[in-house]
Amino acid sequence: SAAAGIFLLNIFYSSVSSLYFHIGETEKKCFIEEIPDETMIIGNYRTQLYDKQKEEYMPATQGLGMFVEVKDPDDKVILSRQYGSEGRFTFTSHTPGEHQICLHSNSSKFSLFAGGMLRVHLDIQVGEHANNYAEIAAKDKLTELQLRVRQLVEQVDQIQKEQNYQRYREERFRQTSESTNQRVLWWSIVQTLILVAIGIWQMRHLKSFFEAKKLV
Amino acid sequence: MTSSAQLYLMGCLILTVGLGLDMGPNQNMEFTFMLPTGGTECFYQTATTGDTMEIEYQVIAGSGLDVGFALISPSGQRVVSEFRTSDGIHMVDRTEFGDYRLCFDNSFSKMSEKMVFFKVVINSQDNTSGGQEEWIDFTVTESVADYRIEEIRRTMDSVYRHLEKTRQVQAVLRAFEARDRYLLEDNLWRVSFWSCLNLMVMLGVAVTQTYTLRRLFDNTKRVCT
Repeated sequence: SAAAGIFLLNIFYSSVSSLYFHIGETEKKCFIEEIPDETMIIGNYRTQLYDKQKEEYMPATQGLGMFVEVKDPDDKVILSRQYGSEGRFTFTSHTPGEHQICLHSNSSKFSLFAGGMLRVHLDIQVGEHANNYAEIAAKDKLTELQLRVRQLVEQVDQIQKEQNYQRYREERFRQTSESTNQRVLWWSIVQTLILVAIGIWQMRHLKSFFEAKKLV
Repeated sequence: MTSSAQLYLMGCLILTVGLGLDMGPNQNMEFTFMLPTGGTECFYQTATTGDTMEIEYQVIAGSGLDVGFALISPSGQRVVSEFRTSDGIHMVDRTEFGDYRLCFDNSFSKMSEKMVFFKVVINSQDNTSGGQEEWIDFTVTESVADYRIEEIRRTMDSVYRHLEKTRQVQAVLRAFEARDRYLLEDNLWRVSFWSCLNLMVMLGVAVTQTYTLRRLFDNTKRVCT
């Protein structure tokens, strides 16, 4: 039936590649996402292990998993969980700023890697891209155009949030810049005064020294 | 098939679509990562024949703000090779079938790690016809006539594409701003540090000068008599 056909098509879609990279046994790879607050992030990953007999990368065995750790801008851990060889992690940011997503494999069996590397396919969706439109369409019984409008509204929402965040960032940037300027100015004045004071002190000290030694 | 079984299958399908990685007519992936001192990081991207691939990268933090970049095609040919640049945009007009390799190289730096932002946009040539989204099968059918819908749909698709482009531009601007911010904070720290050092050096020199001069005359007096 059509449903089965779509199911198969989706299986095909899920084996389509996103970006991938290689990770070693004890290696930890971290990615930084700078996002405004109240933004949802969904990360999908898929691991593959090199099969020496078939000489290609095959989906990893069940025993191999990835440990995912997410830190918020204040270095507080907001997600720390272990997932299987294929997994999906979700979190929502509550403070705007740089969130750090770190992945490392939890394998303690060295033979599994056998000197090779684990191939990790990773895809991180931010904000509106994280929405599952199929689910929304089915739940609210929307037509295609209605769904599209919903998507556009979410997109604009996201853009507006991002701009607000940028405005806040720019304010901090301006504060840092003014602080630097002040310090440079203040330091120049203080330096001049110190130099003059040192000069005066040196002259007076040496003068009294020479007078004491009866050289002057 | 009973309605409950259909509902169950629908649930499975939704879950599968949710788990499946995005494959629309336009794939956009962006990552920001830390490149360790003296290290190299490589990322791989699979492409089919005839796609266009756009790669943009920018160094956000790290002294010198530069990395080496190399793009290697599936056949092993070095398409792009840059040494110590701070940002770049590259387009591959007709991609080959296979995995493209993007490598960021920080091996020339012995002291600082770099934060690199990069994004890869793939325009698939096969699906340029209005971009059939994967949720089309889950939507209810429209009740208004098709020919009127078509125009509205075209306009909205175009708005969607423009908004996507807006977001991508925003991401690039955000990367620029982040880079400038790190640079500024670095400058602030440097100004403070060198000011303090300067102060201590000045005082040290003044004191040393004075006491050296005094010692000079003490010695001379002893020598003379």
